Amino acid sequence: MITFQDVTIKYDDFTAVKNLNFEVKDGEFFTFLGPSGCGKTTTLRSLVGLIQPTSGEIYLDDKDITNLPTEKRDIKMVFQSYALFPTMTVYENIAFGLKVKKVEKAMIKQKVADIAKKVDLAAEQLAKKVSELSGGQQQRVAIARALVNQPNILVLDEPLSNLDAKLRVQLRNELKSLQKNFGITTVYVTHDQEEALTLSDRIAVFNKGEIEQIGTPEEIYEQSNSEFVCNFIGENNNITKLVTNHPERFDRLNLEENNAFYSRIEKLKISLFGQTYPLVEDELSFTGKIIDSEYYGIYTKYSIKVEDTVVRAVLKEKLSLGTDQNEKVQVILSQQHILQYK
Amino acid sequence: MDTLKNRWNKWNPVTILLSFFIIWFVFAFLVFPNVNTIYETFFGTGTFSLEPVEKLLRSDRAVQSVLNSILLAIILVFTVNIVGISLVLFTNYFDIKGASILKLSYFSTLVYGGVALNLGYKLVYGKNSPLTDFLTQINPNWDGNWFSGLFAVGFVMTFACTSNHMLFLSSALRNVDYQTIEAAKNLGASQITILKNVVLPTLKPTLFALTIITFLTGLSATSAPLVFGGKEFETITPMILTFANSSSSKDLATVLALVLGIVTIIVLTFMLRSEQKGNYISISKTKTTLVKQKINNKTVNILVHIIAYILFIIYTMPVLAIIIYSFTDAMAISSGFITWDSFTIDNYLLTFSSLEAVRPYLISLGYGFAGSFLVVAFCLLCAYLMKKYNNRLTRTLDFMLMIPWFLPSTLIAVGLTVTFNTNQWVVLNQVFTGTLWLLLIGYIIVNIPFTLRITKSTFFGINQEIEDAAKNLGANAFYTFIKVLLPIILPSIMGIYSLNFIGILPDYDLTVFLYHPLYEPLGITIMNATGNSASADTKALNLVYTVILVILNTMILTAVYGNLRFRKRKKV
Repeated sequence: MITFQDVTIKYDDFTAVKNLNFEVKDGEFFTFLGPSGCGKTTTLRSLVGLIQPTSGEIYLDDKDITNLPTEKRDIKMVFQSYALFPTMTVYENIAFGLKVKKVEKAMIKQKVADIAKKVDLAAEQLAKKVSELSGGQQQRVAIARALVNQPNILVLDEPLSNLDAKLRVQLRNELKSLQKNFGITTVYVTHDQEEALTLSDRIAVFNKGEIEQIGTPEEIYEQSNSEFVCNFIGENNNITKLVTNHPERFDRLNLEENNAFYSRIEKLKISLFGQTYPLVEDELSFTGKIIDSEYYGIYTKYSIKVEDTVVRAVLKEKLSLGTDQNEKVQVILSQQHILQYK
Repeated sequence: MDTLKNRWNKWNPVTILLSFFIIWFVFAFLVFPNVNTIYETFFGTGTFSLEPVEKLLRSDRAVQSVLNSILLAIILVFTVNIVGISLVLFTNYFDIKGASILKLSYFSTLVYGGVALNLGYKLVYGKNSPLTDFLTQINPNWDGNWFSGLFAVGFVMTFACTSNHMLFLSSALRNVDYQTIEAAKNLGASQITILKNVVLPTLKPTLFALTIITFLTGLSATSAPLVFGGKEFETITPMILTFANSSSSKDLATVLALVLGIVTIIVLTFMLRSEQKGNYISISKTKTTLVKQKINNKTVNILVHIIAYILFIIYTMPVLAIIIYSFTDAMAISSGFITWDSFTIDNYLLTFSSLEAVRPYLISLGYGFAGSFLVVAFCLLCAYLMKKYNNRLTRTLDFMLMIPWFLPSTLIAVGLTVTFNTNQWVVLNQVFTGTLWLLLIGYIIVNIPFTLRITKSTFFGINQEIEDAAKNLGANAFYTFIKVLLPIILPSIMGIYSLNFIGILPDYDLTVFLYHPLYEPLGITIMNATGNSASADTKALNLVYTVILVILNTMILTAVYGNLRFRKRKKV
């Protein structure tokens, strides 16, 4: 288990992260998510031991590792650029850590072969130069190089950010299954919300050097507990104006304490004007006009003008034929899905 | 469309004219003189004869000089690399206290190369220097001429030839992806393992090129052996110079120059073959900047600091000596002994009082500006054509333009003097030997390979889409070149221009073969003042020359590189 206790990291007079407190459980896939410059990589580097916190402590299973140099920590890292040694072969790269530890030659050979198999690197690839590998293979070498040391914790710094979209999705799946097979505690840094949601057991959302929320992907998405988290993850309709124009209708919201209201776009329902839609008790219906639609194949996204607010909604199937601009529709909002903030 | 345009361009009269000019120049000055030298040597009498070779082998002095040069080159490969790598590590890799001051002194060889540097070392270690006096006082049996022979030449050249390391190895080191160092650390490697197994292997290609340059420099060393070698350590080039100056042994000079060329080519082929194995391609797409490493082991840290500052002293003393002695009277300069009364600014007044005194300066400045400009312009043209038309002709051109790298400058110089001694049809029956042109041509030739490499890599580094965009917006080739391409490449072009310029200013090794006796360039003047027979006044004058040279070069380098290279990176 990793514990961060009141960790603050400063560069000169710039505070990169302030007062972090969180725990990562054994075997967990834990993700730091946030926009660039939010302090997530800095936090990760302090965990690995590449930088020292200005104040606070980091514990690994109740042992204080705050001042332990990186080479003494049992935390191995996969770097953003993979940081493969360009002058060595794939084999030499993977064997590097074991060689440093002066493991027996035969043993190294065995272990490298084993790990290569597990990460799906063919034996003939081991003799190649790293520059001869594809992006995906390079990533697997980087992971193998870290895992062959059998670390307590594996740490990955935006390992997919260099790759093209298709490869990114493929490797994301491979990464997940690798982690499942090894059962290793993994800390992952990304700015990509989709990556975070699909991979993680729990996510910590960073903003300006602080953690805004820690929770499972569902919690983070469905119950974003700050306006920042709500806006950073998923797509939203800001319906504050609509709510404040009709305070009497939104009877389930806390209008006294909150002044910002959002609804995720997929929570909105649309029904053609004139068709009857049976409202359930917390649902509200507004009349609007379609002003735009985007066809995505899997779904269609509609922009609808309700009073002076433009809301977006998605439908799996297109509305009935001929539905087009200026068509009048009913927009149904469910109050329990409205996120409200101070 | 593109091919159509290219086809049209192939028949562009300007391009054709320029191509013919390049072909003529390459043939007339790079190929013809060297081939002609070989021909003249062995077929000089009309029939093939090995007579000159036999003559050479009979001369023990000549044979010994060849061996000495090879020995010197081999020693330098080791010493220069060791010192050069240390300098680069101390200034760029390790966290050393006072690194910015160290850097300044380590960079000093850049602003006073060749003869000027020899003058400085002579002042510090020579016969009448305070250091020698001190040693004689401690040990009365100490030889006043102790600083001569192989040791002295090797010592001076070791510290004189590290400029390229400071420039190119430093930049190669800065290109190392810092994440690889962190990764190695994270995998448990010690500092020494990281340096040995991760950092140094990455520098191998650069080190390899530097090794070749060092070897060639050692092989054709001229001024240092002349000043410090003495009778017991003579090397090839000064020997060639001696032979070339007497008509009876001119053929010996060419044979010796050929020997130099052959050794060079053998070494190069051998090295190029072994280079193939050591190559690698960096795969990092998101590099992070190198962070200086603090040495963890206390003893090692102290030791490294001590070595760094000893090197600082070695590098600083000669340049400091030049500056100090330039402000002293003739008495102090000849005796080496300075009192408070010795200080004067008369030397400077003397230098600027007559046009005669600044003449060598003006001559060298003229050669520097003109030679450097012409070589840059020529290489720009060649690089542009090579990028535009990648065909057999341009590839051959690329190879031909590398000739001066494969041949020692001494051989080139001898080739030029021997060939253009008489009317040659290839240059419309002109005689160049004994004119101002020969030296200019020499400067251009020897600076071609390096200049071309830099301009080419700059040119090829430009994203093709930028050029396409300019053309797409309606600009013609010339306008695109002037308004779009030139501004992009200008910083590197200015860099290479200034490096060529400060290389030409104090040059001796090539100049001595080619200069017009009535127009003595700076390198020759300073060299004459370094000799033991020179009068104190001449010496004083040349100290002033050197100081001005140092100031001038520093100004040029800081103006060109100041904003790019020497400025400290701000922490992000």
